[in-house]
Amino acid sequence: MFVKNLFSAIMATTIFSLISALIFLLLDGVDVSLTEAAVGAGISTILFLSTLKHTNVIIKKSNTPSFPLIILFLLLLGLLSFAVSDLPKFGKFNQTSNSQVTKYYINKSKKEMGIPNVVTSILAGYRSFDTLGEVVVIFIAGISVLGILRKKKSNS
Amino acid sequence: MRHHTIPRIVTKLLIPVILLFGLYVQFHGDFSAGGGFQAGVIFAAGFILYNIIFSLDVGRSILSVNTSKSLMAIGVILYVTVGFLGILLGGNFLEYNHLSNTPMSGQLLGVFLVELGVGLTVSNVMVLVFYSFNDINEEK
Repeated sequence: MFVKNLFSAIMATTIFSLISALIFLLLDGVDVSLTEAAVGAGISTILFLSTLKHTNVIIKKSNTPSFPLIILFLLLLGLLSFAVSDLPKFGKFNQTSNSQVTKYYINKSKKEMGIPNVVTSILAGYRSFDTLGEVVVIFIAGISVLGILRKKKSNS
Repeated sequence: MRHHTIPRIVTKLLIPVILLFGLYVQFHGDFSAGGGFQAGVIFAAGFILYNIIFSLDVGRSILSVNTSKSLMAIGVILYVTVGFLGILLGGNFLEYNHLSNTPMSGQLLGVFLVELGVGLTVSNVMVLVFYSFNDINEEK
């Protein structure tokens, strides 16, 4: 809304991804941080840029700020800030993420799996079926991108 | 981009480090941060950087579209194979305990193979998406 140029909008998204990767790093979510830095800041920027390269989007310049958009933006901002107040307090003991399952993983995963990294043992061991689903989803996404883009190639 | 000296030199220095870090995240994911997904994405990012700085043709001579497609499928097949091996060797689907002599080493082997499958699929999907985006660019 505030950025007229699409290129600078993409760069702003990249910077946002990098900052959120840093926030994840500070919160000890190193795995998520790695993913965010590589996907959000790296690959998606490249894909956005190559999309920008082969689309000719021209944004009309408007001198007056569009009031419906600003009102919508403020409404969304208010709604999201209201939702933030519903979140559990950071580091609070009696919240859902500190339930029985988490304690079980932290105490038993080393003995049962022999792997020090609890995140890996949950993702690839205890929740392996979910990860299989994720991999299949990524695979299907790749196939569909190939299919969609190939069709355009044969048409043109 | 090949004729821009500074990006070329910096990329030449950085790409081995990026690829090595990707391999480290892949194979050391059991002990430190990371895993198949992160490693695949880092590896793909390094390869895409190489493709951008040097030409796409050079990149394709290293990893052709067809190789990439088959590697993408091999990753999923590897994951599912590990799952069915668990059944064949007398356990449940995706149970790693029976893959090796002791349950502990079976778990290590199972996690290693599964992460390898994830890494293969993710990195090749990313590279393929990049390739197919650039096929359109070259036509116009």
